[in-house]
Amino acid sequence: MTTRSIARDALGLGLRIPHYPWLFEHWPEVGYFEVISENFLGPALPPRARLDAVGARYPVVLHGVGLNLLGHAPLDEAYLDALSRLADRVDAPFVTDHLCWTGAHGVSHHDLLPAPYVPELVELAAERAYAVQRRLGRPFGIENLSSYVEFGRSTMTEWDFYASVVREAGCWFMLDVNNIYVSSQNHGFDPGDYLDAVDFSRVLQVHIAGHTREPDGTLVDTHDHPVPAAVWALYARAWRRGGPFPTLLEWDDRIPPMPEVLAELSKAREARA
Amino acid sequence: MSDRTAPRWLGELQAHFGAVLRSPLDRSTGALRATPSEYDPDALGAVLDGPRARAAERLAVYNRQYWFRLFGVLQTAFPLTARLLGHWRFNDYAGRFLLAHPPRSWDIDHAPEGFETFLAGALGDDVARDALVEAARIDAAWRALFRAPATPPFQPTAADAARLLDARLVPSPACAFVLERWPLLELKSALASARGEAPVPLPAPLPQARWWALVRETAGIRHLPLEAREGELLALLRRRTVRDALAALEGSVPTPERAALPGQAQRWLAKSVERGFWTGLATEPPSDEDQGSTQV
Repeated sequence: MTTRSIARDALGLGLRIPHYPWLFEHWPEVGYFEVISENFLGPALPPRARLDAVGARYPVVLHGVGLNLLGHAPLDEAYLDALSRLADRVDAPFVTDHLCWTGAHGVSHHDLLPAPYVPELVELAAERAYAVQRRLGRPFGIENLSSYVEFGRSTMTEWDFYASVVREAGCWFMLDVNNIYVSSQNHGFDPGDYLDAVDFSRVLQVHIAGHTREPDGTLVDTHDHPVPAAVWALYARAWRRGGPFPTLLEWDDRIPPMPEVLAELSKAREARA
Repeated sequence: MSDRTAPRWLGELQAHFGAVLRSPLDRSTGALRATPSEYDPDALGAVLDGPRARAAERLAVYNRQYWFRLFGVLQTAFPLTARLLGHWRFNDYAGRFLLAHPPRSWDIDHAPEGFETFLAGALGDDVARDALVEAARIDAAWRALFRAPATPPFQPTAADAARLLDARLVPSPACAFVLERWPLLELKSALASARGEAPVPLPAPLPQARWWALVRETAGIRHLPLEAREGELLALLRRRTVRDALAALEGSVPTPERAALPGQAQRWLAKSVERGFWTGLATEPPSDEDQGSTQV
């Protein structure tokens, strides 16, 4: 059980290596940091030392990309052991990962891959998410994906699938409004319908980020731009509907200096007004 | 943990989808392009056309992401090698390596493991092969040091001194010994702050090969110069008892050097302990884990 907490309206930032020098000199006011779990699961000393330094000053939450919740194979016990140890070490207020598969048949694809939205997989994902949350002994949130394909086999909308998994697992939404927007544009649905399916009393955290438009119009979740106006608008809509909730900015490529990223994060306050 | 097994169809779908992701990108036009016409028909059949793109084009997004993400990981793991080859050529070797050795771990940082060995074979009779292999081994050693756990250094006791000769020094995983025939460590440092994708010229070979100890410290990785015989001794000590290493070194040096060798060896040995190159003494043969201290 965690002893640390973050304010319900806190603003957080994804911790990224290019920001270390500035961060370790200025220690800015940030509600909390989110780290990619897999970057800190190994024994390497430098990441551990940096995480300890950050954890001594800020709450740290864990965000994974390797759980493989919808993978064909059972969940990796060694991975879960390591994740559990890390969560205990930083006393993470919560841990999150994605509603996706990342590998199959012994190969890890290191991408967040969608699966068909069918009741059979609701049961699979919910049982696994329930077990993960119990194992971690702290709230576990599942993030919705940005996706570029839809499957003919699907019999449910993505938002019904997502909400069903969270409800049946008794876990939490890790709601990414940029991902909702990206998928809505790629698949032609109304992002408002998505928000309507979310029980905001079960939202652990909301992610915001930027994306890229490909020449054919496909939006790709690249996290390499400021948050676009359309995503801020969707964020504002989510806030009106279910705020307050902790909000975290992800910026993973073409990362600008930390003051610029903090300025982008602070726009969340304007969007809430 | 959950006992529920995934439906069989999910495994089949993921096998077809995975095959699409790993489809090689075409290089024939001078740019890396997905070739959706060659995708697994079962994967294509499972995916719907969208409002902006056909099913094959939608899958191509994942296909490109798979390769570009992993190319980036390998370029980061082998920055010196990537710059000497240039990214275009490096990606060709990286692609071939990843086809033969797709990632197996949830930790993406494991994906580059073994690339230096693969490259040594793949370079064939390339005129710069030896230098490129040396560069790849330096990159691999650097990476291994960064990933090494914290281990307390060897602090000998009086009892250790008594058994030192017939014991083996256990190498620290945060230390590697490098024999350099081209000034590649210097180049690696220079390139760290100079981004680019074009190939950089290979520097001229050194007049004489030189040894370095690479040591991971809190602030980063330092390279410390070693005398030639000192480097040879430290490399021998990684796998042999102290007595055997000293005998092997003595046997390999010209007669005029031998008189001064015992005193020098004692000094080098003491210095290596002070610098934390070892974690303890062992009597058993070296294990695979001891390979953490790499000799390049």
